[in-house]
Amino acid sequence: MIFKYVSFLFLFFTSFIFAQKIEYNSLNISDSLKENANAVVRLNQIDIAIASQRSMSITTKRVVSVLNEKGLSAIDAIESYDKRTNIRNIEATVYDILGKEIKKIKRKDFKDQSSGEGGTLFSDNRYLYLDYTPVQYPFTVVFDSEIETSTTAFIPKWYPSSDYFVSVEKSILNVKYPDNLGFKKMEFNFSNSKIDKTIDTTTQLSYTATNILAQKQEDYSPVYNSIFPNVMMGLELFHLEGVDGNAKTWKEFGQWYSDKILSGTTDLPDETKMKVKALVGDEKDPIKKAKLIYNFVQQKVRYISIQVGIGGWKPMLATDVDRLGYGDCKALTNYTKALLDVVNVPSYYTILYGDRKKLSIQSDFVSMQGNHVILSIPNGNNYTWLECTSQDDPFGYQGTFTDDREVLVIKPDGGEIVRTKVYEDNGNTQISKGTYTLSANGDFSGKITIASEGSQYSQKAVIENVQPTEKEAHYKEYWDNINNLKINKISFSNDKDKIRLTENVEINAANYGNFLANKLIFVVNAFNQTNANIKRIRNRKNPLEIQRGFLDEDEITITLPSGFSTEFLPDNYELNSKFGEYKTEVVKRDASNLVYKRTLFVKKGLYSNKEYDEYRLFIEQISKNDNAKIILTQNQ
Amino acid sequence: MKCSQLLIILFFTLFFFKGNAQEFKLGKVSVEELQEKNHPTDSTAVAAILFEKGVVDFEYSQNDGFVMITEVTTRIKIYKKEGYDWANKAVRYYIGSNAKETVFISDAITYNLINGKIEKTKLKSDGEFDEKVNKYWGRKKITMPNVKVGSVVEFKYRMRSSRFSELTEWSFQSSIPVNFSEFKTFIPEYFVYNPNLKGFISPKITTEKHNKIISYSYRPEAEPGESTTSSSSQEKLEFSETRTAYLAENLPAMKEEAYVNNIANYSTSISHELSVVRFPNQPYKTLSTDWASVTKTIYDYDDFGPELNKTGYFEEDLKLVIAGLNTPEEKITAILNYVKTTVKWNDYYGYSCNDGVKKAYKDKTGNVAEINLMLTAMLRHIGLTANPVLVSTRSNGIALFPNRTAFNYVIAAVEMANGLVLLDASDRFSTPNVLPLRALNWVGRLIRKDGTSIEVDLMPKASSNDVVVMNYEIDANGKVSGDLKRQRTDYNAMIFREKVVDVKEDIYLEKLENENNKIEINEYSRTSEKDLKAPIVEMFSYSGSNFSEIIAGSIYINPMLFFAVEQNPFKQENREYPIDYGFPFIDRYSIAIKIPAGYKVETIPTPLLLNMQDNLGSFKFMINASGNLIQLVIAHQINTPIITPEYYPMLKEFYQKMIEKQNEKIVLIKV
Repeated sequence: MIFKYVSFLFLFFTSFIFAQKIEYNSLNISDSLKENANAVVRLNQIDIAIASQRSMSITTKRVVSVLNEKGLSAIDAIESYDKRTNIRNIEATVYDILGKEIKKIKRKDFKDQSSGEGGTLFSDNRYLYLDYTPVQYPFTVVFDSEIETSTTAFIPKWYPSSDYFVSVEKSILNVKYPDNLGFKKMEFNFSNSKIDKTIDTTTQLSYTATNILAQKQEDYSPVYNSIFPNVMMGLELFHLEGVDGNAKTWKEFGQWYSDKILSGTTDLPDETKMKVKALVGDEKDPIKKAKLIYNFVQQKVRYISIQVGIGGWKPMLATDVDRLGYGDCKALTNYTKALLDVVNVPSYYTILYGDRKKLSIQSDFVSMQGNHVILSIPNGNNYTWLECTSQDDPFGYQGTFTDDREVLVIKPDGGEIVRTKVYEDNGNTQISKGTYTLSANGDFSGKITIASEGSQYSQKAVIENVQPTEKEAHYKEYWDNINNLKINKISFSNDKDKIRLTENVEINAANYGNFLANKLIFVVNAFNQTNANIKRIRNRKNPLEIQRGFLDEDEITITLPSGFSTEFLPDNYELNSKFGEYKTEVVKRDASNLVYKRTLFVKKGLYSNKEYDEYRLFIEQISKNDNAKIILTQNQ
Repeated sequence: MKCSQLLIILFFTLFFFKGNAQEFKLGKVSVEELQEKNHPTDSTAVAAILFEKGVVDFEYSQNDGFVMITEVTTRIKIYKKEGYDWANKAVRYYIGSNAKETVFISDAITYNLINGKIEKTKLKSDGEFDEKVNKYWGRKKITMPNVKVGSVVEFKYRMRSSRFSELTEWSFQSSIPVNFSEFKTFIPEYFVYNPNLKGFISPKITTEKHNKIISYSYRPEAEPGESTTSSSSQEKLEFSETRTAYLAENLPAMKEEAYVNNIANYSTSISHELSVVRFPNQPYKTLSTDWASVTKTIYDYDDFGPELNKTGYFEEDLKLVIAGLNTPEEKITAILNYVKTTVKWNDYYGYSCNDGVKKAYKDKTGNVAEINLMLTAMLRHIGLTANPVLVSTRSNGIALFPNRTAFNYVIAAVEMANGLVLLDASDRFSTPNVLPLRALNWVGRLIRKDGTSIEVDLMPKASSNDVVVMNYEIDANGKVSGDLKRQRTDYNAMIFREKVVDVKEDIYLEKLENENNKIEINEYSRTSEKDLKAPIVEMFSYSGSNFSEIIAGSIYINPMLFFAVEQNPFKQENREYPIDYGFPFIDRYSIAIKIPAGYKVETIPTPLLLNMQDNLGSFKFMINASGNLIQLVIAHQINTPIITPEYYPMLKEFYQKMIEKQNEKIVLIKV
């Protein structure tokens, strides 16, 4: 009897274990991991095995409990493949809240898609992804994959946690490598997280991270790779798209890049050579020559993204660009370089991260990095940088996409890390000069000239070329403080030599001033309200970064209606802080004319999380004063 | 809302064109075309389609039978750099299991004017890409060489297809001007297509009949055991062919406007759907000619009607769902909730089932058809008169013509004594007669058990409310503090539930604080978040110092605080398309304000009552001050889901006056 009882219990127990995987149960996730989390990564184990210079496999096991719809992207069950990368295994299993299996998804049930969507015209890169409709929340997905590739030039960065609103219970990285390939690594932002380095030998590296809490996204934070902990890895002896490489220093890396990837791509037809020689004529100055060539390129080519085979890394041949008149950033940069070679102007292929946030090449870690290519031309002790994908940018202008960051310049005798042009805070100007008249019934009519330079140029230059309806929409947005706005006239002058964009705009608006009994009230600063909306953030965690500073100056002459006397004029106002300076004054010129002057200067800088609220109040003060009103009383 | 009347006004404002004898052929690019700097009638155009011609023809062979050939030739002028994308072209083609299509691109040439001479650059194979998009679709792409400002590009593509249930939809209009657009169909007598034309512009149509002879070689199939050497014979197929040409010229660019349902609804285009197949010595096969036969055809599809009539998978479970419920209303709500919670929508549209209702029920996931046909079946099972309603979603455009492909969605309807109750179980916040916005697209088509059908107005008639009751007091520094209760019903409730689902309270409040002029919120609570029958209610207390200004000792304050609309949503000067609110609504505010001690009211805004023309909407602003208390009642309502563009100037002015009133200030002065 007792015997029977035991075996029954045993049976019950085993069947229970078979049916349910306790570790995939979403009930026992700790509250701290659930806080702010839309999904919890229970386990993310990545095993990277580098067998040789030309062979690497990456095995992933990811267990994610999805708490709600917003957490779906954390499943991340996706692998891309191409001619040199093969997906050996990909599958997923879905478990319900108790850890009971509800669905198995095999390789054939993954969706197969080309990555040539959006901005790319064609790409031979494809990916397999899981398209699963949850039937309940929470649920848990176990994703297993294994990929194999001959490309060892990129070892994926390890991010134990890589997204906002996702917490991580456990994240493991294991890397195995032969000791003769020069494996190296570099750790970032480890200080505030619990990451254990469990193995670190000549052939093996392992990390384990546990209990990383979910983070909220916060405005004005520094770039993600300087917030989230991560590990960069690389080999001194590597392989890329059929080409072996060997580099310990940037010099060696650049040499390899120049010899193996770039060489033989800059030939041009004789006809084109003759044409550009004729174009340059007797000009001796290399920068002036480069300007003529840059203009030629801007007229001739257009940007198209094509990612095919080694085209992903190697630029299209200059002869092909010459014939077809299009190419991607690599192709157009290389083509411009080929043309400059013809007229004996030295120039260098330059690799960097193109991003509105200033993202640098990690200069103390020699490896394949970057996502964009520009051209650099030595100019005295500095460089002139050319964005070859743009048909509109002024010569040597970098805007906000490639400015102020470390880049890799590839010279024939090796690579070199250089910082691109820094646009100084007080050079990023917007100077507005204008007038407006208020009529006796409160209607507004005015005109203004706005000149923008430095990084403010790039924000304004785009407006010039958009459709009239979009132009109108832009000004109605820019002056959204003026209701009933009607735009009468818009004209632009774009001085590409001085890199200054000037807007001339004439507007009017009914009922700009509001009547309260016999009083006419209106906001004195009509043309340049501070629109920076700095959010209140409860318990800010990240530092505050102001990426670029700027200087705005306004001088507006105001004509008041007759038949009114001035009851109230705003006081002159001045605000100084570590973030910048702000000053306004209203000067009474005569009975019906006022001059309003306003200066706002904001510095770039990196501040602590504690200083965020100070910055918010600084901007809020400015915004309040930008709303200062004039009160006129109607004469009886 | 009488939608059908509106349709007539909208879509049959016709412009007629004079036919032009000019002939357009590839390869004949003129110097004048290359010299042209701007489009003659639209100087802002970045590019223009100088001509585009499409021809649909049928070929016959013994092996393949009839094959449909679509040939399109295009010439485009590039005026500006922003128009360079027009030198890229992509053509999608079907590669699914049967009836594969092929596309062949040819005659692709870029023309430039170099020193007064025309220079031609041909597209070579390196500018052509063939891509497998997914299991069902392939895509050929070209990017034209040597494109500059001023270039003219030309290309031609030819598609072979045996999927001839419909012809390629031909768009006469585009986001750039189109100078000449012609679409021709050569249809053998064996097929009858229904042409469906929509848009503001009417092309010129000419039709003629031809006799056509196709010769082909015929080789009889070998009998078993027979040698296969039997010779082929030349055969002739003689039939009449209907040739139709649609021609439109000088079509303006389509420009996006705000608050437009789906701009494709207003663009001129023609689609054709196969309605009759009549081969000799075979009975007529009618597919669709009018709404009745369209719906009948759909009803007879294996993955529609039969799916609806399937039983034996839910009955036992349903007993529990409706146990103890008495009224039909209670049962409808219970069954709707049951389907919503047990079968999740997999984001696929369609009026036909994919895996079938039984599998969807078992897997707990399905497409729109599986979910709503299952819902209909359950409602029928308990004895209600429930039927499916075919719908075209907003993204699919309005279903204007009898056409199977006009629909892409299906919902359920129950006939009750006081009218139809519309249901959609694919959306978790949808309730009876509150459909997800994607399904709110004018009219649908209800199919009864016998296959007959009627038109159903989908647009909501009941107003959705947003009712705010708030009290606050002002201190001598102009700071306000108070509490409020906000109640949303129907569509307002659905939209709000969708907005806040899965959003952590902390993050929601942070957003609410920031969106409302940086107020500080305390004691926040929300009720009926899950109980969809009830209005959703938010309550909280708040304080804020950004609502008043102290100028020369007086306090100026906007009584509506953060509820005042500051900007007119209608900024454009003119409007061509209807203003689509989606549903009628009432926004109502009851506000009580206590003023600080030692102050008195100097001025308050005057009351205002605005009524829109034809009772389309109204705005009411009532205010009263007594002692240290000011009370306001403000109501804004729109009585119809869609307002036609001729009312736009009236609407714009109405909003302007309303917004001005909402922003008028109360002035408090020291006693």
